[in-house]
Amino acid sequence: MTSDPSEGFDVVDPADEQLLEELRRAASQFDPPPPAVLAAARSSLTWRTIDADLATLVFDSGVDRPVTAVRGGEGPRLMTFSSPSLNIEVEVANLGSHRQLVGQLIPPQVAEIDVHHATGTTSVQADQLGRFRAEQIGSGPVRLHCRFAATPSAQPVVTEWVPL
Amino acid sequence: MGAEFDVHDLVRAAAAGDSHGWDGLVERFGALVWSTARAYGLSSDEGADAAQTTWLRLAEQLGRLQDGHDRIGVWLASTARQESLRLLGARVADHADPGQEAPASVAATATSPEREVMLWRVVGDLPEHCRRLLRVLSAVPPPDQDELAAALALEVAEVPAARAACLEEFRHRMANIGIKADAADS
Repeated sequence: MTSDPSEGFDVVDPADEQLLEELRRAASQFDPPPPAVLAAARSSLTWRTIDADLATLVFDSGVDRPVTAVRGGEGPRLMTFSSPSLNIEVEVANLGSHRQLVGQLIPPQVAEIDVHHATGTTSVQADQLGRFRAEQIGSGPVRLHCRFAATPSAQPVVTEWVPL
Repeated sequence: MGAEFDVHDLVRAAAAGDSHGWDGLVERFGALVWSTARAYGLSSDEGADAAQTTWLRLAEQLGRLQDGHDRIGVWLASTARQESLRLLGARVADHADPGQEAPASVAATATSPEREVMLWRVVGDLPEHCRRLLRVLSAVPPPDQDELAAALALEVAEVPAARAACLEEFRHRMANIGIKADAADS
């Protein structure tokens, strides 16, 4: 082999390339991206938001808790989202095809919260203690969009999407 | 192919809210995102959730990825991997039945060429790291080296050797069941 290593992948054995071409044909035939998945991907742009602070997912018990941890039955999944101005703690209960969210804003404050999910938007209120609850949330990607009517100068906060 | 230049333009257009630019990104990377989810063993439904979450996250991040216009494929592959692992973790936490739907399983049809059926079956039986690698590498259009590394959580420098070893293992298994790996040879 005298190929230039810096060219990496571009220098491929023709036999490798032929085999990979066959694998691509097989993948395209047996496991292509479903049309509904591509349609959902195309429609995702409409959820773009520009005027909100992003709260990132900093803890997810579904992932961050060791798999070997002893579980006390079917406890709720716990998640924490964090932005510079706000933390949002959420408990997710799995009720078959629906999810129930019980949450807490930190620091506590009144807010209008839109829960965006696959089957629409569910609007709820956080009370003066920052507590909120949302029922009948469809499974699939979900995010929370929080507005603060009591503090008009406060920038809205939107969480990252997370599949529930 | 001038792919980098195209992707750069598509990202800029999409970031400005242009749906044609966005659709171009889906066309270019839709199979990479899907293949990555399937490479990690997600079912069709789980793969759909992982893929949709990945694209929604990109829509959320578009305006924030100012320096990453040329690396969008790497970002998508990496995010698809993370979301796939998250869904796998949630599945464990729910004690959900992982199901018997092997990601690389073949629903053989009367029209499937026998050889492709066998190839795909052999991929499905490979050790996990090779099954993942060849599944992502089978995306159309194919991922580049950086994207493949991101999908598999490998260092880019590790990719050529991993790729070569997995192709060799694949050929070995093909030979074991009496199929020539290189149809056009000899």
